[in-house]
Amino acid sequence: MKLFGSAILLFMPAMGLSAQGIRDSVELEPVVVTASHTPKTLKDAPVVTRLITLHDIKIVDATNIQDMLTQEIPGLEFGFAMTQETSLNMSGFGGNAVLFLLDGERLSGETMDNTDYSRLNLDNVGRIEIVKGASSALYGSNAVGGVVNIISRENLEPWTANANTRYNTFGNEWRNGASFSFNTEKWNSQTSFQHTKIDPVDLPKAHTSEEIAIELMKKAQGLPYDESVLSDDSNISRLFGQKTYNIKERLTFRATDRLTLIGRGGYFFRTSERDTYDYHFHAYSGGLKGRFAWDAGRHLELSYAYDQYDKANFLPDGTRTHDHDYSNQQHVAHALYSHSFGKNNLILGVDYMHDHLTTYQFLDNASHAQDNIDGYAQFDWNITDRLNVVGSIRYDYFSASARKAFTERLAVVYKIPWMTLRVNYASGFRAPTLKEMYMHFDMGNMGYMIIGNPDLEPEKSHNFNLAIERTNRIRNSGFLDGRYNFTLMGYCNIFDKRITTIEGPEYNGMESALYWNDEGITVWGIDASLGHIWDCGASFKLNYSWMKETGNVYYSDFYQPRSHSLTWRIGYEHRFSRLYALDAALSGRCQGKPQSGRTDVDQGYTIWKLMLQHHLWRGIRLNTAIDNLFNYKPKSYYYSSPLTTGTSFNIGLSVDLDQLL
Amino acid sequence: MKFKSFMTMSMVAVALVFGMSSCGDDDKDEPEAPVANQVVGSYTGTEVLTVMGEADESTETFEFTKATDVSVDVTLPKYGESMMTVPALPVKGITLTKSGNTITGKLDKYEGTVISADGSEKAYTVSDVTVIFNDKTVVMTFTQKYGNMPFAFEGVFTGAKK
Repeated sequence: MKLFGSAILLFMPAMGLSAQGIRDSVELEPVVVTASHTPKTLKDAPVVTRLITLHDIKIVDATNIQDMLTQEIPGLEFGFAMTQETSLNMSGFGGNAVLFLLDGERLSGETMDNTDYSRLNLDNVGRIEIVKGASSALYGSNAVGGVVNIISRENLEPWTANANTRYNTFGNEWRNGASFSFNTEKWNSQTSFQHTKIDPVDLPKAHTSEEIAIELMKKAQGLPYDESVLSDDSNISRLFGQKTYNIKERLTFRATDRLTLIGRGGYFFRTSERDTYDYHFHAYSGGLKGRFAWDAGRHLELSYAYDQYDKANFLPDGTRTHDHDYSNQQHVAHALYSHSFGKNNLILGVDYMHDHLTTYQFLDNASHAQDNIDGYAQFDWNITDRLNVVGSIRYDYFSASARKAFTERLAVVYKIPWMTLRVNYASGFRAPTLKEMYMHFDMGNMGYMIIGNPDLEPEKSHNFNLAIERTNRIRNSGFLDGRYNFTLMGYCNIFDKRITTIEGPEYNGMESALYWNDEGITVWGIDASLGHIWDCGASFKLNYSWMKETGNVYYSDFYQPRSHSLTWRIGYEHRFSRLYALDAALSGRCQGKPQSGRTDVDQGYTIWKLMLQHHLWRGIRLNTAIDNLFNYKPKSYYYSSPLTTGTSFNIGLSVDLDQLL
Repeated sequence: MKFKSFMTMSMVAVALVFGMSSCGDDDKDEPEAPVANQVVGSYTGTEVLTVMGEADESTETFEFTKATDVSVDVTLPKYGESMMTVPALPVKGITLTKSGNTITGKLDKYEGTVISADGSEKAYTVSDVTVIFNDKTVVMTFTQKYGNMPFAFEGVFTGAKK
């Protein structure tokens, strides 16, 4: 912490600085949509919303959502699930209890209960909104621990074109991308392409296999030996190499002043080079949306979205094995009507989703499908200029299980001159997936069955939170003159009927695990954030999260939540001349020790990152970064270790061709 | 350091034995048998397979066979019971080097396929292999990945020659 304090002091005297990303979130003027399904300024959002701005995305130079959130959100950690697929833990909730949306649309498929986060690259992303806690009354299943909504950018210049490349020494990673957009009176098009490639990374072990063998030989011969060499707690020795290709297109047609049509499409491919097989992942997405506005106060949205996610295994010689084929397709139709009555607003919505899954994990590679129908209503009642009440109710029905779920939310915002008070109750649920209902899988052909349970009930949560927020300007105080924002939120999330596996019945002489609704947990937490922009231009933000689980808590190698975590960023931006401007940020994250009390792995860690973005002539940017500035190395690698082998370096080049030509 | 001392003493002892014998008037220098010939055979002992921190110990026999004069093959014994079985996995081409009384075998990675208990062909890899032979004792460390099993087995074998 002394180091952190010193770093702040070092950056404070920066002259003529600004940091647009921090400024946006401190001044609370940007518009957000996730908390209420309707555009509201950040300061008026009924639930505390964490905003990651376009500037944040650019300065962090993150490749995908995982890189971005890791650096920005405390209480959030990405680790590994089985098969070394990425797994999320956010304030006590796993990846299947946090809903990721792309422009408000769900993504199909999962990898070990998690979205394939590498699909969510940040090319052409304008902002990311994060609402922690339950939001099922608006978004349905999976919005239990939070919603992360990734919102595309819509360039308004006549045309833009960008080409970019970046090299990272960690795994010799290359990222190459290109984007193009045009904008006319009627048409707006955004196209982006990204390719990434990372080599396998051998994680250093505390001792080589030869050193271990030598000590073993001494032990076998009755000679003195070093026991510490024989006890290495690493579970992972190699990160697999992978390549991704991601192409997206979004086309908007403003047919009339009242009618707007949006079409979108995307293709994603990832190959992960494993020890025995190569895993191939494909995703196809497309959608159409129409928005008709009768007037400023009334509009109707109709949309259809398709998303497909496939997995298959290939032998090193390129032969597809077909023993691990997986395909998930989702069709979603959606209608939303919004009607404003003066300052008040009513939203009525209905959705239909058809979910179809074929997987090797079902008996005889069978397919299963389910329909989900829901209807919801929300009333946004501005009782006075200071008092706002937002109430939502929703009903969901799932055909395969014949289960239904009612969810509701009541959010109250009260503004008093010196602060804003938010009180919120929201319920959440997660419907059992087709996999959890119908799985019939001999895990790894080892004779250990995992059996689905069609009688599973939805997981259910009740989320209460109370937040205070203050935004103000300090004048005539000398050193502190500037604008600041402070938010403190306490929450309690009661999570019940958690779906997990228990020891199942013997199946054809084999042991089994059975999906089951288990007793739940209660998650208690506090989130605090502080941002300050000095009049001289310096700025910084600090986010802290504390979390504690009680009840039926269990830990595993894959689940090691930490009670305390912290992220921070100090920004610096200055134009030195017409030909050169510097945008700099020093950020860090600190994770506390595992809540489980586990002591055989690192008790906590701090990682710093220095990012320098050099704006050169006519839209040419040189991005450099030093990650893990102080060369932190885990003492052993397990599923919740940070993905680092020490300090790494980035260098990248981005060219805005429209400015160059 | 103790190991180095032991090695030094061993080398001195070996040198003395060979030195003494070479002084004999009637003795002739006989070429040393290839290193592979010196280590082939059956070794019985304890195999410990660790997966996700859980260790499973069993008594096994590892059969080392000659591949070339300077390399050996070995078959990792099958693991598990009935349908819950990883079949025996051949590992070929462990390169041997000799230093004093100690013969060390190394292999970065071996990739193969094998027929599983249900009759299907499965790919596997055995990597990071180190084998040390000293006198009648062998120790072997390796990492084993079988089929689509999500986890690797970390294996350790300590055995004695029959």
